[in-house]
Amino acid sequence: MLTVNQLSFGYGQKLAINSISFQLKPGTLTALVGPNGAGKSTLLHLLQGRLPCCDGCVKCNGSVALMPQKAAIDWSFPITVQQMVKLGKTSRRRSKEGRSVEQLLKLVGMAGMESRRLNQLSGGQQQRVLLARALIQESDILLLDEPYSAIDPPTRAHLLDVMRQQAEVGQTLLVSSHDWGKALDSYDRVLVIDRHLVANGTPAQVRNTISDMDSVMGDCCG
Amino acid sequence: MALMVGSICPAAGSLLITQRRILLANLMAHSVLPGLVVAIALEVDPSIGGLISGLIGALVAERLNQRFRGREEGSMNTVLAGFTALGVLMVPLLKARIDLESILFGDILAAGGIDLVRTGVAALALVLLFTTRYQDLVFIGVDPEGALAARRPVSQIRFTAIVITALVVISAITAVGIVLVIGLLCAPVLVHVERSTSLRNLILKSSGTGLLLCGGGMMLAVLLDLPPGPLIGVLCMVLLFLRRP
Repeated sequence: MLTVNQLSFGYGQKLAINSISFQLKPGTLTALVGPNGAGKSTLLHLLQGRLPCCDGCVKCNGSVALMPQKAAIDWSFPITVQQMVKLGKTSRRRSKEGRSVEQLLKLVGMAGMESRRLNQLSGGQQQRVLLARALIQESDILLLDEPYSAIDPPTRAHLLDVMRQQAEVGQTLLVSSHDWGKALDSYDRVLVIDRHLVANGTPAQVRNTISDMDSVMGDCCG
Repeated sequence: MALMVGSICPAAGSLLITQRRILLANLMAHSVLPGLVVAIALEVDPSIGGLISGLIGALVAERLNQRFRGREEGSMNTVLAGFTALGVLMVPLLKARIDLESILFGDILAAGGIDLVRTGVAALALVLLFTTRYQDLVFIGVDPEGALAARRPVSQIRFTAIVITALVVISAITAVGIVLVIGLLCAPVLVHVERSTSLRNLILKSSGTGLLLCGGGMMLAVLLDLPPGPLIGVLCMVLLFLRRP
């Protein structure tokens, strides 16, 4: 269970997150939606503890892992797919033996590509590797920062399928994305933020609450 | 001596290039000059003065980088020029008896036992860093934010890398000089970086190439009766053209 209570954070004088509260139940897949600059990445970084909270609190029963945005990674670094996924073990706080690198690469559709260098991968393959690296941490809560950026619809569907499987085995997932409309039906719940919490509920509830989504999302919603 | 410098410079360069900190190394190579001059004027070990001065240069640059965020290259190059100029100014000011040309461009034939010991210490420090912190060095290189989030000692490792870089640079000054050391830090690494499958692989390949480069450069210098430092510097550049696209 992840409980966020009156969470605020600012860069200097500017508030990026303003008094946001919500709960994530175990085994749920939740979308975090909002326009560019809404504070989605900042919120994820606060939840993982990469940024210190200014105000409010985050209560978390269990470990938290973050799949970062693609731009946070140096893809030209000399490292193979296998070594990259293994790096996730460095962050793992559990001593129990989890799934192997090979099992996870197979799960994300990257079997047989263990010895490829990162800069030889397509954008979609890079996202799959990042997901495998996040999964190897065996965390209770998994935060994913824009995992669908620059990927094709089949890859998106595959990643979503893997996330659904993780939710079914009890992992709690929060996925920041620009999904809207029917695409939200893939999730159990949806959080809409624009520095503050705009809506929180099932996909249908959120769509009913916000009838004019274009005014919230600008022109970035899919 | 040349062979040792030829292997440790590219090893340090592998780390600096993959962590995108090579400009900092160039800055440090030039920042050692004021410290060397002061140390020689005070008749103490030049490597101590150079090490302190190189670290001060790196700290000044890091401080100014925060003030000129997004324009770091400009501020770092200005600090580089400033420290070099300060070193040159200090020679007449302190009336130091110093051969500026040999410091800037190296004089391997003047290398003595103490230079060999200095290079050995730098090599040992580098090997220790790679063997004890290899996984962290990879993590910091590929995902610095993730390494911080995983509570890896990023600042300490970066500082250790800066100190070791300063040691490597100082040890290489006798062989190739302040100006040319950057060629040895970069060229062998650039030749291999795109085809290496791990940092370890890159370090080994680059060190091997650097070793051949310095050994070959020394022999060529003796054959052609040319100064070895500048000749190795030119060979570094030629090496880049020999790499298959």
